[in-house]
Amino acid sequence: MDDMEKKLERLKKVETPAADSEAKKRAAALAMAAFDESAENSSKTFQGMSWSMRLMSIFTPLKGIRLMDIRIPATAAIAALLIVPISWQLMNNTSLTPPPISDGRALQTEKKDKDETLSPLKNEPAPLVSRELAIAEPEMMMEAADMAMEAPAAAPPAGAMAKLATRTMSAPGLMQDQVVGYMQSGDQFESFDDANIKLTGDQPVSTFSIDVDTASYAYVRRAIVNGRLPQKDAVRTEELINYFDYDYATPPSADVPFAPQISVYPAPWNSARQLMHVAIKGYFPENVMAQPSNLVFLIDTSGSMNDTDKLPLLKRAFKLLVEQMDEQDTVSIVTYAGAAGVVLEPTNGNEKRKILDALDNLSPGGSTAGAAGIETAYRLANEAKNNGGVNRVILATDGDFNVGISEPEALKDFIKQKRDKGISLSVLGFGEGNYNDALMQALAQNGDGNASYIDSFTEARKVLVNEVGGTLQTIARDVKIQVEFNPAQISAYRLIGYETRALNREDFNNDKVDAGDVGAGHTVTAIYELTPVGAEQPVDPLRYGENTQVNATLESDELAFFKLRYKLPGADESTLLEMPVNQANVAADLNALSADIQFGTAVAGYGQKLRGNDVVSDFSFDDIAALARSGRGVDKFGYRAEFINLVEAAKSLATN
Amino acid sequence: MGAQLDVCLERVLTKDQMENDPPIGELVKLAAAGDRDAFATIVDAQYDFIFRVAYKWLGDRSDAEDVTQNVVIKLAKSIRQFDGRAQFSSWLYRIALNAVRDHQRQSIRQGRNVAALSLVSPTAAPSNQEDDVTMNEVWAAVRQLPEKQRDAVLMIYGEDMSHAECAAIMDCKEKTVSWYVHEAKKTLKGLL
Repeated sequence: MDDMEKKLERLKKVETPAADSEAKKRAAALAMAAFDESAENSSKTFQGMSWSMRLMSIFTPLKGIRLMDIRIPATAAIAALLIVPISWQLMNNTSLTPPPISDGRALQTEKKDKDETLSPLKNEPAPLVSRELAIAEPEMMMEAADMAMEAPAAAPPAGAMAKLATRTMSAPGLMQDQVVGYMQSGDQFESFDDANIKLTGDQPVSTFSIDVDTASYAYVRRAIVNGRLPQKDAVRTEELINYFDYDYATPPSADVPFAPQISVYPAPWNSARQLMHVAIKGYFPENVMAQPSNLVFLIDTSGSMNDTDKLPLLKRAFKLLVEQMDEQDTVSIVTYAGAAGVVLEPTNGNEKRKILDALDNLSPGGSTAGAAGIETAYRLANEAKNNGGVNRVILATDGDFNVGISEPEALKDFIKQKRDKGISLSVLGFGEGNYNDALMQALAQNGDGNASYIDSFTEARKVLVNEVGGTLQTIARDVKIQVEFNPAQISAYRLIGYETRALNREDFNNDKVDAGDVGAGHTVTAIYELTPVGAEQPVDPLRYGENTQVNATLESDELAFFKLRYKLPGADESTLLEMPVNQANVAADLNALSADIQFGTAVAGYGQKLRGNDVVSDFSFDDIAALARSGRGVDKFGYRAEFINLVEAAKSLATN
Repeated sequence: MGAQLDVCLERVLTKDQMENDPPIGELVKLAAAGDRDAFATIVDAQYDFIFRVAYKWLGDRSDAEDVTQNVVIKLAKSIRQFDGRAQFSSWLYRIALNAVRDHQRQSIRQGRNVAALSLVSPTAAPSNQEDDVTMNEVWAAVRQLPEKQRDAVLMIYGEDMSHAECAAIMDCKEKTVSWYVHEAKKTLKGLL
């Protein structure tokens, strides 16, 4: 390493060429034009979008020419020069060992962090590095291949190229995911595998926590709209399904806030399997907005929030919320950045001008130090606390905020502690490139709130206007579902999605175990794939193992038994709601069921498809689109139509 | 912490700036208030500094020019929002760094590995002595590192910053910076 140190020390001495005066003039002229333009618009903040677009048209042609210039002299010598480092990298990184991942993990685990989901240290470097290396490699191979084409006459490098070619062939494992053009970015997601098929004989009970988050759908949409398939871990099927509003039966009162409906029908992707669709809608009090709300906006104004899809979008989003407030509500604004500070002390909701002005004056700059901001935000929330109303901190950020506290556990505890005192937390994610999904989810879960990803103004309206009740008012906490399957009827099952929400069987009755919360009017859907006894079996039975055959006396026509636990707001003890699933729930044909169920099933297929699950390999994007079309229903806001477009887009991305 | 960082950055940046700078703070205030001439002076004075940073990061003249141009335009659009809470120089540094990243991501997205090509790019800095050759090799290799590792190495070795300064600019912990450098060395070991 000493030698390396010396080499790196040399970096200091590099001399940069003098700037070209022509280029400088050009840039200065453009800058002055931009300056003048922004003078005209300085009353309106951030007209930036039009500028960046205009600029692209200037750069792109230049860029093309430059690349050509470089390529033309790419002779055999250059190819040879290139191949040396490239082949080294291939050898070292592409083959079966991805060193940064394993080494990174090892380094972290030594540092005692055992919490997989919440350590920024762990989440930060390891996946990033591996992804970036992963993206570099295939491109380098392409590059090398290009070179090979261009310099076929060069004798000496030919051998090297042949070697290179074999290495390329021998490293398909890592590349497989890249082939389809999966999106690569700096965004961080908790990685997980699709749930396996469980044999009812081995494990008759399935337990999981409800998840009403929808962030994954917005992220997936953004990726696909930008022309890339999202990375596998960004796709959480249950969040895709739960993004949509379904017209499920509404429970009659706040005391029993759920009225689950269960339907069993043939799986469209495999005729030997059945799907069990669990539809839950949260109670929707008439007067959600009539409740006094005490909101604290905790806003990330670090330099990275500069982009149009971050702070400017955030401002517009919060304005939507402010517009709905009145004199019984209070709003405060806290920023966290180089100088974390109170931008707006608790202000009455009818002083709209003052609130909107404070929002308008926010500008990005400085480094991120999240923890100080969070403490200030909770202090303000506490000052303006109204008992019996909504008290909530809404954190808006583009990604990993440097919490200042080295233990994320401490932050988690802090949020949990405040939640117990009646102040909850919701998280709104913005932008791309730095997005730390795992941390945001974890924070929101600990704060009895939800995490949403805002990629557009439409999405902001959905979260903060159309579904504001669900965003602001929790009607049930720690909602858990447990299903016990009857081995006499169902030989195997698989829960679609909720992989990151699985609970232990004993957690169901343990009220200390935290689970997802449901806001007013939220709909939650869970879908199981079932293999009935007597159908073609996914797993062979054991020849010598335990006899999983069921005692005939226990045999009933019940397929499963469904249980749901929830805590009413303020209650410490959970309430149990249960019902059997029997032949009355079974439908022979999906088409006979409601549009909502058809649509939800299509989304479930789509999620699994994007995750590359083999189960749905025979269920094409066209099939998904067709099913979604037949389940489109009224579609008041056009979300379902948009989904159908996304299916079409994903189809063309996957085949190209 | 902010003030400390600014002091450090000041130290890093002064070399280029002291020579021809009128009191930059005053100019920035004027420009923020809409003074056209003040802004023109700022662009003129800062262009070379930004270009130098961009060139170090990207190792290619035209890339560096593109990025510098982007930065001054960004500066034009956002100088009115500059509130003087941070030092102007550190603010500028961050804009430049973000622009370099955006540029890099764009190139990657377009599927052209500019970094690989710039290894032998004809526009690379002229290298006459043997020492220069090694140095350019080191640079070229460093530029090929994953984004964060590269940023860390360039700031710590290229700009002679401390881990703390680097951590503040990269918005991460010092430990993470050390980790980036450690990983970078490991990768470089095979390349150099």
